[in-house]
Amino acid sequence: MIIWVLYDIGKDKARTKAAKRCQQAGLYRVQFSCFLGTLTQNQKDTLQLQLEELIDEETDKVYIFPMSRGELQQTALLGQAFDKKLVTDEIRALFF
Amino acid sequence: MQLHISTYGTYLHVKDAMFDVRRKGEDGKVINATYSAEKVTHILLATGTMLSTDAVRLAMRHNVDIVFIEQQGDPIGRVWHAKLGSTTKIRKRQLEASLGPDGLRWVRSWLLAKLDNQLGFIRSLKKHRPQHADFLDDKLIRTEALALSINTLASATGSATCVADVADTLRGLEGTAGRLYFETLSYVLPKEYQFNGRSSRPAQDAFNAFLNYGYGMLYGKVEKTLMMAGLDPYVGFLHRDDYNQLSMVYDFIEPYRGWVDEVVFRLFTAKKVNKSHVSEVSGSKTGQSLNTDGKSLLVNAFNEFMDNDPIRYRGRNLVRSHCMQLDAHQFANELIGKTGGLPDLIKL
Repeated sequence: MIIWVLYDIGKDKARTKAAKRCQQAGLYRVQFSCFLGTLTQNQKDTLQLQLEELIDEETDKVYIFPMSRGELQQTALLGQAFDKKLVTDEIRALFF
Repeated sequence: MQLHISTYGTYLHVKDAMFDVRRKGEDGKVINATYSAEKVTHILLATGTMLSTDAVRLAMRHNVDIVFIEQQGDPIGRVWHAKLGSTTKIRKRQLEASLGPDGLRWVRSWLLAKLDNQLGFIRSLKKHRPQHADFLDDKLIRTEALALSINTLASATGSATCVADVADTLRGLEGTAGRLYFETLSYVLPKEYQFNGRSSRPAQDAFNAFLNYGYGMLYGKVEKTLMMAGLDPYVGFLHRDDYNQLSMVYDFIEPYRGWVDEVVFRLFTAKKVNKSHVSEVSGSKTGQSLNTDGKSLLVNAFNEFMDNDPIRYRGRNLVRSHCMQLDAHQFANELIGKTGGLPDLIKL
């Protein structure tokens, strides 16, 4: 499923770690504290637990939103937007 | 996703437990891109590139297949964790079957599946080419006759109890069928793309260059498929045992070659291929090989066909890569007596 992760985390160290966890899980950075990508249910649960450990529950906020493929297709993207095909895993090969 | 690394000097290493690809851009600046190990399925490295051992370890932890390829696309080696895909029992039975009547039965079913796919493809060509109907019908009849010979050769003559008894005849029939088939493909192609039979190392024309690279990719895929099913890629039934000969890969690939043919043929008939996709092989007057643009065109088309375009298969909608894996598992299971009956022929 397509997953959005958005957060506001106060501490620099925790914030950096949160960003890395999201990327390691296979999400792509679409804005500074906003990640998007396709995950399995298990991967999503793992990420959720990892983020839970990092944050300060009193001050920080993390949102994990699922989104359907159909909804993503209707999304309007303006300016320097992300690559829809990349985040939905439709790109099968990259060349270097 | 697959990472194809073929530009000279590109470096693959690990950064934050993710794969990081680094290379110098044309302006001398370092470009790098990071990919999660969860997302990468294959890493294909051509010669002239670099790889760190940590990247190898990360790949093995995540079941990522690292394949080393020649610039022409032929796989020369791979890094895979040191475990069998399944039980050794399968390998023992595979060895037994290679010497007995079971092996013959399988070889026949693969060859017939291949011929059946070739016939199917020629028939599909006929639909939109009424002007070539006579030529195509003639080829169809001759290929059907060859299929019949393969079928009877292996079953009716009680004398043949293992592949070795009829191997040469089978190879001959298969070769003749192949020649007829490629003659047909060439005949219906636009004039400028027509070719004169198969050629490799180097290919003599663009069509063969595309085919060779496509088969190269398919070899790699089949080898992995066999390993995952617990089969030994080196123990073949029909193909000769030789030093480092991936005989089982060459046996097992037959029914699926048609997929490459179809992808390549479609690229050519849709006029997607032009002069910018192939370059001349240095040191050879007529040799042709794919360049970076050509590779990217073919790889994308092939991946799309294999992994994004489901077909109806054994009552389910599956992408072609899964069909192949399913066949390999069924083959392995039948070897150890878990299922009955031969698989359905693979229909294109």
